[in-house]
Amino acid sequence: MLPEPFAGWFGALQGWLFQTLVLPLLQVAGLAVYTEDAFNATEDFLWGALEIAVLAAVLLPLERRYPVERFARGSAVRTDVLYTLIHRLGLFPLFFFFTLRPLFDALQATLHLRGVPTPNLESLIPALAASPVASFLAYLVLLDLALYWIHRGQHAFGWWWALHSVHHSQRQMTFWTDNRNHLLDSVLTDSIFALIALLIGVPPAQFALLIVLPRMLESLAHANLRLSFGAIGERLLVSPRFHRLHHAIAASPRGDYRGANYAVLLPLWDLLFGTADFRPAPGATGIDDQLTGRDYGAGFWAQQWLGLKRLAGRG
Amino acid sequence: MKAAGSMTRRGLSLRVLLLAWAALPALAAANLVVVLNSRDASVTLLDYATGAEKGVIAVGKEPHHLIPTPDGKELIVASAVGNELVFLDPATGALKRRLPDIPDPYQLGFSPDRQWLVVAANRLDRVDVYRAGDYGLAKRFELPSIPSHVAFSNDSAFAFVTLQGSDDIVAIDLKAMTVAWKMKVGKTPAGIVTTPDGNHLLVGVMGEDHVAAIDWRKRAIVKRLSTGAGAHNLAPKGDGRQVFVSNRVANTISVIDQGTLEIVRRYDVPGGPDCMDLAPDGKSLWVTSRWIMKVSVLDLDSGKVVKQYPVGRSPHGIYVHKPPVAAAPAK
Repeated sequence: MLPEPFAGWFGALQGWLFQTLVLPLLQVAGLAVYTEDAFNATEDFLWGALEIAVLAAVLLPLERRYPVERFARGSAVRTDVLYTLIHRLGLFPLFFFFTLRPLFDALQATLHLRGVPTPNLESLIPALAASPVASFLAYLVLLDLALYWIHRGQHAFGWWWALHSVHHSQRQMTFWTDNRNHLLDSVLTDSIFALIALLIGVPPAQFALLIVLPRMLESLAHANLRLSFGAIGERLLVSPRFHRLHHAIAASPRGDYRGANYAVLLPLWDLLFGTADFRPAPGATGIDDQLTGRDYGAGFWAQQWLGLKRLAGRG
Repeated sequence: MKAAGSMTRRGLSLRVLLLAWAALPALAAANLVVVLNSRDASVTLLDYATGAEKGVIAVGKEPHHLIPTPDGKELIVASAVGNELVFLDPATGALKRRLPDIPDPYQLGFSPDRQWLVVAANRLDRVDVYRAGDYGLAKRFELPSIPSHVAFSNDSAFAFVTLQGSDDIVAIDLKAMTVAWKMKVGKTPAGIVTTPDGNHLLVGVMGEDHVAAIDWRKRAIVKRLSTGAGAHNLAPKGDGRQVFVSNRVANTISVIDQGTLEIVRRYDVPGGPDCMDLAPDGKSLWVTSRWIMKVSVLDLDSGKVVKQYPVGRSPHGIYVHKPPVAAAPAK
C-alpha cells in the first residue's frame, strides 16, 4: 500500500529502532512473549513521530504567518503538545493494548467460535478485493461515517459531553489541540472505533494509513490558520475554517454544547444529516460558560480531574 | 498384446518424451519460494534463482506459518486472524482453495501417521485437533496460555505444544484425546522438534538464550544448549542429523547435532532470523528476516548471507519448493 522507496525506508527505520532499543529491553525485562506486539507498536510509534514532525514542520510556520487569532503560545498550548505526545507516541496505545485488547481478542474469539460472522467489505462487495485503492477509500468513508456519529454522541449525551468538553475548553486552539482529550473519552472513542474496525474487517495493510491520514487531517482542521478550501472544497473535505466553527463559543450555547460541523474528514455527513454550517467568521473558540467563570482546568492533571468531577455531577 | 520389453524404438522415444513432459512442470517450478508477510495479510512468491518477485497473493490476516500436505500436493498457509487455511499449489503458488472457519490457526503440523492436523491457536489459547482427511474438528483443548509451536512423537501417539504464556510444553495423547502431561521448560518457549531417534524434544527457549533438550518420556530437561538470545524456531537440515536454530535477538543461526546434542556451528544472520527452509540442493538456507522486511539467503559453506530480497512486512513462514524426484526414464 505504501509507495517505494518510502515503505523500504520506513521499514528499515522500524527494524533498526526495534532491534537496537526495544528488543533488548524486552529480553532483559522477561517480556519476550510480547515481541511481535512490540514490533507492531514500534511501527505505531514511528508513525506518530513522523506525523508530529511533518505537522510541526508545515503548520508551525503557517500558524505564525496566517493566524486566525493572535496569542502568545504559553502553557495552554504546551499542555496540548503534551496531549499530542501522549496520544501519538505510544503511551495511550500502550495502555489500550494492555487493558482493552485482551477484551477485544476474547470478544472476537467468542463471536467466531459461536459462529457469529464478522464480515469484511471485500466479502460484501467482491469488486473491492481487486482494487486496493477502492477498498481503502471504501473503508475510509465508512470509518469516517462512524467517527461522525461517535462525535455526535460526544455532544448529545450529558455524561459524554462532561468528558469531551476538555477538548472544547481550549481557547487558544492550534493544530496541537486535536489530541486534547480526556483519557476516558479517548478510551471510549477508541474502543468504539476498534469494535467497528473489527466488525467490518479493516485490512491490516491499510490500517496504518486509515488511522494516520485522518489523524493528520484532523490536526490540520484544528490549526490556527486562515485557510479555506473554497466554496466547493469546503464541502468535500473538512477545513480549518469549517472545524473552527465547531469549536466557536458562538456555537456552544448553554454550556451543554449543541453545535454544528461534526464531521472529521467529509462534510458530506453534516450536509446529509443537517448539521453543516458554512458561515465564514465563527469568532473565538471555547465553551460559553467559560465566559462566566467555569473552570475546565489549566494543566493536564487539572483538566483530567475536573472532567471526572463533571462526569460525577460535581463539577 | 505386446510385452513392455518389446516396445518399438518409436514407442520408447514417445514414452521418454511423455515422461519428460510430465516432469516439466515440477522441474520448471523448482524455483519457487513462498514467503508469508504476517503484517500485510499477503504471500510473496519469489523466483528461487533470481529472487525476483513473481507475485503477491492476498490471504486472511496474519499468515504466520505454512506446511505442505502429507501427499505434497498442496501447501497450506494458515491465516491466524483470518481464521482460515489457504491451499496453494506448492509448485506454482497458485491459489487452489480456501478452508474457512478454522479458528486462529497460528502454527500447525500433521502427525507422522497422517491422521491428524494439530493447530496451535496462539491468540485464543486453544489447540485444535482436526482429522487430516476432511479437516473436521476432532477435539478442542483449552490450553492457557499462548500455544505456539507443534511437534509429534515418531509413533504419532503424542502431539507436543509449547505454551509461550505459561512457559510450559504440553503433551496431548492423540489416542485418548486428552492432555497427558505438562512441564515447565523455560521463559517463553517457541519452536519445538522431535529428534530423529524419537528420544528427545528440542525447544527454543525464546525468552532466554538456549535450546532445551528434553527426554520427554522422563519429562526431564537433559541439557540446555546456549545457542543465542531469543532462540526461536528450529528446522531440520537435509540429512536429518542436524537441526538449525534461529536466534532472533542474537541475530544468529546455530546448528545442533541431534545425535550428540552439541552445537556444531553458528552463523551470523541479521534482521531477526525466524523461519527457515533449506534450498533443494541443500547448499543454502532461506530465512525470513522478521524485522527488516527481507528474506536472507545463507550460504552454508561460506557461512555468509549472500543475498537479501525485499518482501512484505514482518515476514514469517517460508517454504522453498523441492520438486519431487523425477522418475528415471525407461531404458
